[in-house]
Amino acid sequence: MPLLTIKSLCIEFPGRGKTERAANNVSFELHAGEILGLVGESGAGKSTIGNGIVQLLSAPGRVTSGDIYLNDDLISNFNAKQILKVRGSRIGFIFQDPMTSLNPLFTIENQMVETIINCLDMNQQQASQYAIELLAQVGIPDPEIRIKQFPHQFSGGMRQRVVIAIALAGKPELIIADEPTTALDVSVQDQILTLIKGLCREHNVGCLLVTHDMGVIANVADRVAVMYRGNLVEIGDTAQILGSPNHDYTKSLISAVPRSNIKTDRFPLVEYIETTEKGLDSIDVTTHWLGQGVRHTHSDDLLVIKDLNLRFITRDAMFERNRRYLQATSNVNLTVKQGETYGLVGESGSGKSTIARMVAGLQKPDSGSIQFDGLELVGNPDKVAIRNARKQIQMVFQNPYSSLNGRMKIENIIAEPILFHKIAPQGDVSQIVGDLLDHVGLGRQSGKKYPHEFSGGQRQRISIARALASRPRLLICDEPTSALDVSVQAQILNLLKDLQDELGLTMLFISHDLPVIRQMCDRVSIMRHGMILETAESEQFFEHPENAYSAELLSLMPRFDNIYESSRITKAPN
Amino acid sequence: MLQFLLKRLLQAMLVMSIISIACFAIQDSLGDPTRELAANSISSEERELLREELGLNDSTIIQFGRFIGRAVQGDLGNSYFFKEPAMTVILKKLPATLELSFAASILIIVISIPLGVFTAIRPRHWFSRLTMAISVIGISIPVFLTAIGLIFIFSVTLGWMPSFGRGETVEMWGYWNSNFFSGDGLLHIIMPAVALSSIMLPLFIRLVRAEMLEVLSTEYVKFARAKGLSSYKVYMKHALKNTMLPVITVGGVQIGIMVAYTILTESVFQWPGMGFMFLEAVNRSDIPLITAYIMFVGFLFVVVNTLVDLLYGVINPMVDLVGGNQ
Amino acid sequence: MKNKLQLMGGLFCAGMLAFTVVDAKTLRLAYDADPVTLDIHEQLSGGVLQLAHMTFDPLIRWTKDLGFENRLATSHERLNDTTVRFNLRKGVKFHSGNSMTAADFSWTFDRLKNSQDFKGIFTNFSALNVVDDYTIDLVTTGPYPLVLHTATYIFPMDRKFYTGTDSNGKDKGEIVKNGASFASTNQSGTGPFTVTSREQGVKIEFERFSDYWDKSSPGNVDKIIFTPIKDEQTRVAALLSGGVDMIAPVSPNDFGQIRSNSKANLITKAGTRIIMFQMNQERRAELKDIRVRQAIVHAVNNDAIVKKIMKGFATTAGQMSPEGYLGHNPKLTPRFDLEEARNLMKEAGYENGFTLTMMAPNNRYVNDDKIAQAVAVMLSKINIKIDLQTMPKAQYWPMFDDRAADVMMIGWHSDTEDSANFNEFLTMTPNSDTGMGAYNSGNYSSSFVDESTMAANQETDPAKRASMLQAVEERIYQEAGIVPLHWQNLAWAARKGVNIEPIVNAMNFPYLGDLVID
Repeated sequence: MPLLTIKSLCIEFPGRGKTERAANNVSFELHAGEILGLVGESGAGKSTIGNGIVQLLSAPGRVTSGDIYLNDDLISNFNAKQILKVRGSRIGFIFQDPMTSLNPLFTIENQMVETIINCLDMNQQQASQYAIELLAQVGIPDPEIRIKQFPHQFSGGMRQRVVIAIALAGKPELIIADEPTTALDVSVQDQILTLIKGLCREHNVGCLLVTHDMGVIANVADRVAVMYRGNLVEIGDTAQILGSPNHDYTKSLISAVPRSNIKTDRFPLVEYIETTEKGLDSIDVTTHWLGQGVRHTHSDDLLVIKDLNLRFITRDAMFERNRRYLQATSNVNLTVKQGETYGLVGESGSGKSTIARMVAGLQKPDSGSIQFDGLELVGNPDKVAIRNARKQIQMVFQNPYSSLNGRMKIENIIAEPILFHKIAPQGDVSQIVGDLLDHVGLGRQSGKKYPHEFSGGQRQRISIARALASRPRLLICDEPTSALDVSVQAQILNLLKDLQDELGLTMLFISHDLPVIRQMCDRVSIMRHGMILETAESEQFFEHPENAYSAELLSLMPRFDNIYESSRITKAPN
Repeated sequence: MLQFLLKRLLQAMLVMSIISIACFAIQDSLGDPTRELAANSISSEERELLREELGLNDSTIIQFGRFIGRAVQGDLGNSYFFKEPAMTVILKKLPATLELSFAASILIIVISIPLGVFTAIRPRHWFSRLTMAISVIGISIPVFLTAIGLIFIFSVTLGWMPSFGRGETVEMWGYWNSNFFSGDGLLHIIMPAVALSSIMLPLFIRLVRAEMLEVLSTEYVKFARAKGLSSYKVYMKHALKNTMLPVITVGGVQIGIMVAYTILTESVFQWPGMGFMFLEAVNRSDIPLITAYIMFVGFLFVVVNTLVDLLYGVINPMVDLVGGNQ
Repeated sequence: MKNKLQLMGGLFCAGMLAFTVVDAKTLRLAYDADPVTLDIHEQLSGGVLQLAHMTFDPLIRWTKDLGFENRLATSHERLNDTTVRFNLRKGVKFHSGNSMTAADFSWTFDRLKNSQDFKGIFTNFSALNVVDDYTIDLVTTGPYPLVLHTATYIFPMDRKFYTGTDSNGKDKGEIVKNGASFASTNQSGTGPFTVTSREQGVKIEFERFSDYWDKSSPGNVDKIIFTPIKDEQTRVAALLSGGVDMIAPVSPNDFGQIRSNSKANLITKAGTRIIMFQMNQERRAELKDIRVRQAIVHAVNNDAIVKKIMKGFATTAGQMSPEGYLGHNPKLTPRFDLEEARNLMKEAGYENGFTLTMMAPNNRYVNDDKIAQAVAVMLSKINIKIDLQTMPKAQYWPMFDDRAADVMMIGWHSDTEDSANFNEFLTMTPNSDTGMGAYNSGNYSSSFVDESTMAANQETDPAKRASMLQAVEERIYQEAGIVPLHWQNLAWAARKGVNIEPIVNAMNFPYLGDLVID
């Protein structure tokens, strides 16, 4: 008898005019002590299934047909009261973002004890004692002290441990972990996954691990179910699915994952999804306006950063001795050569984005020097020269949803820098904007639309088009694909590569994703606590890291290369 | 903590100095107090003499200097009408206004939170729709209209409620006259409090509703459900406390603004508080009292904001006013 | 705790009772404002005079038909051109218990001559001579016709009570305008009521003076609870809901509501306050032309203003003196005639009109701003474009003093209830030495008006004086020196059973001592 049985499950989201089917005839089983990975890209319906099991679908979603059994109980037929006895007590939940899944206003103890009392027959004191035991189990040091604290006093990883402790509190038979490590840094991710895996084995608990990350699946899942647009396309042992997938979608999905072991010219695309990649040959940049930007060079080193320092005040006080600071960057030195892609790697808070912001002029450094093509940008009184230089430095941000003004048409968004910097005659602007849109693969007709009409990947193309509109020489990409699905990520990264080749762009590429860095960058600097620990040629860095921290990060990088090798299907064009 | 309070004190002083400067700048347009102090028929020499006596003929700078000189000693001048130090007059009127605002705040809290929560939890319920519809209308009815409506329905037509004044008050601590300890006093405060709260109520219902909706869509509420907690506990414990954070911040400011609305309410109900006093002072060109009142209200704003921040700090563990370790 | 609850319950019931059951002998009174002081010489204003008639008594007082009746005087006789003798009532006690004698009058007279507000009324009086304990002579500087008018302002104060120094070492009799004094917080008069408690701006409580001299007064009110209620509608609501027994003033807008209520009575009376516009001849040459001023007077439809805006709560005026005043000239009627007005403008050569600035207060007189708007519209019919600005009285008076507009509104009540007072302040040539024409913002000047008014102030024969003052009114009428609009009426309202009709008067000081409550 399996722990969890799902039979022909259908989940629908009725919308205006059209009903979206988020899960379509999904059936699978999960056994006690087993970790089943549920993998797929955004919109595939994997989280919906997790929520649907415990009737936590957000309105107006509903289960339209199918049965869900937990052991012998048909829990899909449970009413609102009955399902309360399932949640927490029999099925524990772990959510993606530990920063938001704990209530900030209550102590850890409060939030754990209420769960324990709710699920188990314990009094306040027993519950408190048990909570401390649980915290100890999930590896929180000094649990007696920590339990009295509030969520904000914990780091992200520690919070996720608390969340896991809460998920275990009701002694459940099944744990549903919805992207449990997506919001965490690589080093923490590994710890959490190991913890979940260990606990499941120890308590003989089943685990439904929902994730988009193939690396995670490869590391912990016993079996994998692959979802695509509400359909479960394939299910099987992890080694089999990753090693020799049957379904075309699975094949292309796996091939699109950036590889960490070897550098390839271009990213393989998920061919199964209808490709949007066209254009790039729409204009000839050698003759087009786009290719006519400033090209003269004073030195081979386009960007030179020297002893760059910046600190933030974390606690203000009247007296200096009481103030607290965070050293965001500490004596950073780096040089980006003309035409290269320079990678900045590090975990969150390491200061890599702060450097990008300072180069782009969005943040003023406390001290140090930033030279662009020989021109000093820090404290230079020559405003005209600065403005001229800034125009040649453009940025593509991480979040394509918030970086575009939702009230402006796309064509206006892109035309804005051209008009602002007066780099093209007024009459030519609309033609240029159209060409740019064609060139990034959106088509000129999309200029009449508004940002909300586009998907995340398309918006990132818009961001790139906007950046290109001022004919930059240096393009700063701050985590340009970390909010995107694997398949879309591949397209965007390819686009960036192509543009670089064509236009001779120099790129400062910031990412926490080591495989992506390996594929994109010529040279890499690794950052931690605002300092650069190591700078090396990309290949050199990945094969023979010098710094201990670098080596550790590389070792923790989830990889499924070994399994993947055998089944590789290369569809790289050209 | 000390530093925080010190900062606020400085802020209050700054606010009050700016207000006093502003008051002096517009002093001339506040009218001629001798018109209220003396009959129309007195001769212009007599009037001039009176102006001289009041120091109104000195240049604004000299008058201001004199004012500041006394103000730092805690003397804001004498009210022409009340013939007492302006601060004494204000402090005498303060209990009436604070009690009215307090009663109105209680009404707002007691009504807006349940309604706001309900309309957020059950947005499609007929009662929610009705509440929201009424709140849209309510927000556009001026407070004096509500007040007069109440008087005509409950006092004139039905004869249930007294139409004006504070009624019987009970003196406490030898200073504070309270409405809350006598039946007559309670009866008198009901309609003014209802009228005063009416202007803020729709706003608060909408505020609570909006914040509650926002909180209900958060991960931790979903997580609380996933933990198996009952809906009641999810709403009343996890959601409500988080809802209250922004409500306190906005609400604190709004309740400060309510002091402004007491002017209208008090004058309709002949409520002997600061607001009515201020309106009369303006009518009478009682300049020292006008100045003192505005400065006092500025001070009150800073106090209310400080209290709100302290309360916020108590509820929100992430705010560290006391300066402990983070 | 239980006791406390019972106590609160008890209080609650008591509160309900106090609210619903009315003590027949208590008058709960609501005016729009309470007097600023208890010192009846500190300020010459309606509120203070109303207070004076409650807690003090005058020598003689006005009757309803603008005659005189004795109060503390028992009789008076003219000894010569400049002296009038008053015989005083005996056995009159002050609230303090002191007996009233001529010495108190002498002390009071000196104090009046010192009072900033009242000294103006007593300019023509040189002395009050004590003949014996119960006889006084009022002496004027020259022949003066208004001795009796002025005697209504002599309310004897308790000399002994107000002599000496208070706890602050200040003279008890001192008149202090800015700040508190002994006299502004303590009273001892001879009047029917004593002040038992006072919270300024909130409440004054009066009790009937047990030793009041006037045993023949029908008044049966033992206690007065006076509450100022500023808001007109609240005041009316307080009456209609039984919260108070008597209110004043009453806005014309509320008349219907009170009249239709079975529990309340409305009393209105023709008042003596004239509302008018003055046309500034100094600012505008056009207004120097009599024809233009005539045209303006002809263009203003006073009747329409009284009917539409005042809802009948005013008497249309063609002159300043109301009926009952010596100077009232029955021939001088309003003369609205648009055709004539246009002709006059044409004659004067202003057929195409011009623009005038106009100012009026918006919270001083009944419907003042609406009246100004109406007049502006009326004047547009003769092509005079009015640039109107209305403002609160606090801002208006400084503007008026500066003569800040071409046409300005003013209302005037004669303190002496005599026509000459209008001329002295409003229509005589402004003269800073004599102080005449202080409120003549139009700078209208006529030597006839100046001279006749001054002569009338020396004329003690009422018949001759009347013809002089009527001639003055006629001259102003002919020369269109001002634009008279109407006399504001007065209105009071009371619960049925509170018989206010006999005690209210055109001066607006109800004789509450004589009030009878059924």
